[in-house]
Amino acid sequence: MDRLERLVNLVAALLDADRPLTRAELRTRVGGYSADEDAFRRNFERDKETLRQMGLPLLAEALEGERADEQIGYRIDREAYELPDPGLTEEELTALRIAASAVRLDEPWADTASRDALRKLAATAPAAGDSPGRGDGGAPGAAGGLFGSRPEPGFTELGGGEDVAVVFGAVAECRRVRFGYHGEQRLVDPWRLSYRNGHWYLAGLDHGRGEAGEERLFRLDRVEGGVTPSGERDAFDRPTGGAAAPIPTWRLGDDPEVEVRVLVDAEQAPWAVASAGAERVVGRRPDGAVELALPVTSRRGLRSWVLGFLDHAEVLGPPEVRDELVAWLEAIAATPGPAVAGREVG
Amino acid sequence: MSRAPAPERLNRLLTIVPWVASNDGPTVREVCARFNVEEAELLADLDLLFLCGVYPFTPDTLIEVDVADGRVWIRFADYFRRPLRLTPGEGLALVAAGEALLAVPGADPDGALAGALAKLGAVLGVGGDGSVDVELAPVEGDVLADPRRAEEGHRKVELDYYSFGRDRTTTRVVHPWRVFNAEGEWYLTGWCEQAAAERLFRVDRIRRAALLAERFEPPAARGPTALFHPDPDAPVVVLDLDPAAHWIAERYPNEGVARRGGGVLRVRLRVGERAWLERILLRAGPAARVVEGDRAVAGPAAARILERYRRAR
Repeated sequence: MDRLERLVNLVAALLDADRPLTRAELRTRVGGYSADEDAFRRNFERDKETLRQMGLPLLAEALEGERADEQIGYRIDREAYELPDPGLTEEELTALRIAASAVRLDEPWADTASRDALRKLAATAPAAGDSPGRGDGGAPGAAGGLFGSRPEPGFTELGGGEDVAVVFGAVAECRRVRFGYHGEQRLVDPWRLSYRNGHWYLAGLDHGRGEAGEERLFRLDRVEGGVTPSGERDAFDRPTGGAAAPIPTWRLGDDPEVEVRVLVDAEQAPWAVASAGAERVVGRRPDGAVELALPVTSRRGLRSWVLGFLDHAEVLGPPEVRDELVAWLEAIAATPGPAVAGREVG
Repeated sequence: MSRAPAPERLNRLLTIVPWVASNDGPTVREVCARFNVEEAELLADLDLLFLCGVYPFTPDTLIEVDVADGRVWIRFADYFRRPLRLTPGEGLALVAAGEALLAVPGADPDGALAGALAKLGAVLGVGGDGSVDVELAPVEGDVLADPRRAEEGHRKVELDYYSFGRDRTTTRVVHPWRVFNAEGEWYLTGWCEQAAAERLFRVDRIRRAALLAERFEPPAARGPTALFHPDPDAPVVVLDLDPAAHWIAERYPNEGVARRGGGVLRVRLRVGERAWLERILLRAGPAARVVEGDRAVAGPAAARILERYRRAR
């Protein structure tokens, strides 16, 4: 028997049964497994693994049985299996198809994932009649309003990362996650997944901070050793109203928050304001320079950000932050100069 | 035609069967279009499906499949009445793509895409509360509008552009070939009349863009755009990087990285613009050391900035 045929029968048997089925029962009800006991067990394990990788909610439950293989029953959780109808219109489906062709995640699995996702959603919408419901033809309104024309395929690529899909699933299910970060093991309620400045960030409640935990931000490509979901779903409520502003480097840290004043010269001011946010502007000088007040939780991030302006910006205060930057620069300035005299190139 | 592996075909069947079964004989053409599958693949899958069913596999427990006059019917497959839920990876791929496109300045916040994302979010459990969001780059909407109009209409554009590498703003006339986003940043690539060469501009560093009446002839074929292509004649700098500065080796194209003792990486870079190297070295501090090339970059730059701090007090 073809393996595909066996797999279809296996899923049908599991969905059709009104109670958990033992391995022996499945062997009879599916047909097509080998008469050889070892080969059967190997193939059955392989089939189970295939179904789980596809995301089928295959459950193994303890049964009252005499023999060992009668003590485990298998079933599919039908509620977790069935996709509820999102009620997408044909035009909305087309808009998603365009988005998926214009924007891709930089991950080897991403193209297959978006194709399979679009197929599943296409199965929830009613037939369009004889006109094909595919996104490359009709429904001009779906793309219209974006550019006046449709974005070309491959218009944007987003960075990936092994853990982003795991975190996405955990955010969706309100399930806690565990991971290593800055050398510490974290237990986090994942609240928000954000893509900023080419990186994925997770915002959530870090249970290892303070008595009731504190909100922290984690850059997912800096996670150490992978993200693991932990515990039950619906373990917490997400706070409403997520921050939609970009996350600047001076927010990416665990340092106690300090308000830092930074002066940026006129020429770099527009870029500084765009990057920090207009609400951070606390003053403008007659020559066009802007004064910003930044709630800094990463001193290192602040240093990088300010030094990016070279001598077109300076930290005004508080004094200890200003002194810290001056000391950093003095150390660099004091480092022995050219090893070969007169080697400086302009 | 090479057959797709069994798990992929199973996934496809579990999606197609419920839809065909709940519609009265859709055309094969519509099924293929809707599910993005070749007709031969679909027919091969259907050929196998009519052998499937549940125990004891008598005619009344088998799935019934009819293909006639270019239409297809599936009956007696009630256990496959709904498609399978999306996996986290599938959900992420679509939501991220949709959110990214919606974040493009000028996207319609009340359009079909926004509607689709709200409905999809509700089904996936990430809906409506900003729990997944994508922002491509913090640029003002109108900064992108003119280059994009220029790109579409093949019109030249005059830019006041701040060059990060040179730390200087210049005015230039550009033929905008393409506006695109990569790794979260917006770029404009095109022909720069002043440089008489192809140039790449970061949109957030465009200070002013003015659409000109004059048109240009777009190039026939364009290769992929490299985000950062250092001049092969630019001077070489070799740096030793402690772990705290390994990001330099990871972020910038280089001409080779060698592992040294004590977690040190030795990286060879082409440096066209001095200000670019200044920034890297100032940020890395003692964690990056110049071992070959111009060693007098970071020190003088630090001294220049310190000058400003001394003046101010």
